Amino acid sequence: MTEPLFLSHEALADLVAGLIAAGTAVIGPAPAGGPVIPGLEERQRPTVTGMYGTLEYREVRSADDLALGPGMPRLSLKQFFLPQNEALFAWKRRGAETEIHETPTTFNPRVVLGAKPCDVAALEIVDAVMNWEYHDELWNGRRAATTIFALACGVEDDHCFCPSVGVAPDTTKGADGLFTPVSGGFLVEATTDKGRVFLESYGAHFSAPPAGGTDEARAYREAAHGRVGANVQIDAVRVKDWIEHHFEDPFWATLGVRCNGCGACTMVCPTCHCFDIVDEEEGVGCGTRRRCWDTCQAGKFTLHASNHNPRADQIARYRQRINHKFAVYPVKFDEVLCTGCGRCVRTCQMGQNIGEILVAIDQYAQQTGEAPDTTDVAAPPAEVAP
Amino acid sequence: MRCSDEGRRGGVKELRDLARQLLADGTVDVVVGWEDSSRGARPIFAGTPEEADKLIFDTRCLHNLATYLNPRRKQVTDLGKLALVIKGCDAKAVAGLLREMQLDRERVVLIGVRCGGVCEDSMAPEPVALTPETVAPRCHGCDNREPHLVDHLLGEPRPEPPVPLLTLDERVAALDALTPAQLWEYWTAQFEKCVRCYACRQVCPMCVCERCVADKSRPQWIETASHPRGNFSWNVTRALHLAGRCVGCGECERFCPAGIPLAVLNRKLQRVVKERYDYRVADDPEVKTPIGDYRLDDQQEFIK
Repeated sequence: MTEPLFLSHEALADLVAGLIAAGTAVIGPAPAGGPVIPGLEERQRPTVTGMYGTLEYREVRSADDLALGPGMPRLSLKQFFLPQNEALFAWKRRGAETEIHETPTTFNPRVVLGAKPCDVAALEIVDAVMNWEYHDELWNGRRAATTIFALACGVEDDHCFCPSVGVAPDTTKGADGLFTPVSGGFLVEATTDKGRVFLESYGAHFSAPPAGGTDEARAYREAAHGRVGANVQIDAVRVKDWIEHHFEDPFWATLGVRCNGCGACTMVCPTCHCFDIVDEEEGVGCGTRRRCWDTCQAGKFTLHASNHNPRADQIARYRQRINHKFAVYPVKFDEVLCTGCGRCVRTCQMGQNIGEILVAIDQYAQQTGEAPDTTDVAAPPAEVAP
Repeated sequence: MRCSDEGRRGGVKELRDLARQLLADGTVDVVVGWEDSSRGARPIFAGTPEEADKLIFDTRCLHNLATYLNPRRKQVTDLGKLALVIKGCDAKAVAGLLREMQLDRERVVLIGVRCGGVCEDSMAPEPVALTPETVAPRCHGCDNREPHLVDHLLGEPRPEPPVPLLTLDERVAALDALTPAQLWEYWTAQFEKCVRCYACRQVCPMCVCERCVADKSRPQWIETASHPRGNFSWNVTRALHLAGRCVGCGECERFCPAGIPLAVLNRKLQRVVKERYDYRVADDPEVKTPIGDYRLDDQQEFIK
């Protein structure tokens, strides 16, 4: 990490203006827009305890739009790397010939300023699957074109649990640098070459930290660690081990019964990355192949053409969500597919609380011991054992 | 768990006693009601007398639990015979399921609770006092504060809830005042926010189709992509399929992670159905709905 530099609020405004003037898109948390009914003050979502949604990540027009304080954007940053829907290619038939117009996989440079560290860390976690058997050119193209400075988080509420899954409120995982709020502006550090180049290129906006600035930043970050640490206390390895060996445990039936299967948790999740590919005909002989966000919480997600569904009910689908995040992905990529942002908890109107569920699994694992139970799918049932 | 004065008036002690009895004598296998949790009030599936003691009913119990009666929710039907706690408004959804032959009345014991209105914040740590600021707009003008259809009716009669600051009808009226071009612009911008999670459909007690039109891919009636075309198609189809069936519980709007004001759209359609067919969704399963009935004097001037 580079020595911290100071960026005053005024210098930030100049920096953003300069980037936009040079044709670089600037993305960051900003007050959520939306249509209003003329003549009536728009009644936005009701005030709901622990709910959020007054911010969204979007391309800003100036630093005035940026909301670099507390508050969690409704959707995560993933939409800028894996859009809700995107064209893969378009086709057009001309007689016997079919023209294919591929979507370009290089992108104009972009800068993300002030994203939540949990949202940025999620990008690096998802990088693993996007470069596993298949090298996803659209994802990687957007990643390469984007310089990201996260904003050290002051912790939102009781539903933040990043340390439980190996993330921290001031992590630089996935980021090119970090902003930490101090009096009059931010301390800015670069953690990658891309970040260092950025700070050098725009060096005129940065200055030496003011007296006491470094101490102030450290105190802010330590306070955040203290605040979030107690929220959800689990042993992620024990949770992983239990899930791996208890696929058929009756405990699962107690976890998914109230779930509606709406999938809102997966849409707001920074790490959920499943998509569906569809061909949309847009006229005679022409159309677009798109990929769209999909969710493992929908029955159709695993419905076979034969009409058999291996995940026949919500118990199985909810187990899948937990299993993929806290066992399958860690086993395959050595990363938990969760950054503890707490969005799924705040979003679920039925009260599903992933923090509470992880604690329950961890406690259940301790009570039932480490040994696989008799319902383990890996162990053959006694009556058919040789 | 402590039972507050508010809880006693709401019949919480009676509710727990009844639930324990129904479970103990084997009348039902599970009682579906509300519990207090780390996320405020939320649904509970109480299968033991101990769990029955967690049941609550207060102003945060706004979930329409009739959604768990969907015959295609295998994880619920697997539990055996249910007792379900319902408010008056929820009874309309139960009636709708009976009317559309989606529910065997013998399969469920209905425990009705008299309601004095609910708030919009199910996640509040404590019951919320109802004021014009906190009361759910859908409670305004409620004609079902005492549920019908039920096997057991609990709680004392409750006073009418306060008038909300902004009623659904006022929001509809504001939209009705727009020009078609403004209205198009407004709804297009609202639907652009849609992420196509289908939370609105999943929570809806009346969305019980074996296979939703949005899930059909051959032919693809509704594009799955969340572009404006696909989003408009989905949201309009959802609304129209619920015209004359929507019970107005507002769960779709509450669950929408994108904040689309679906309850306003539903209310508008309720008003259209009322004006054209003099029909208001009732809690009597014998009353025929406009879409399930044909009358010689139906207005049909739009058929040309």
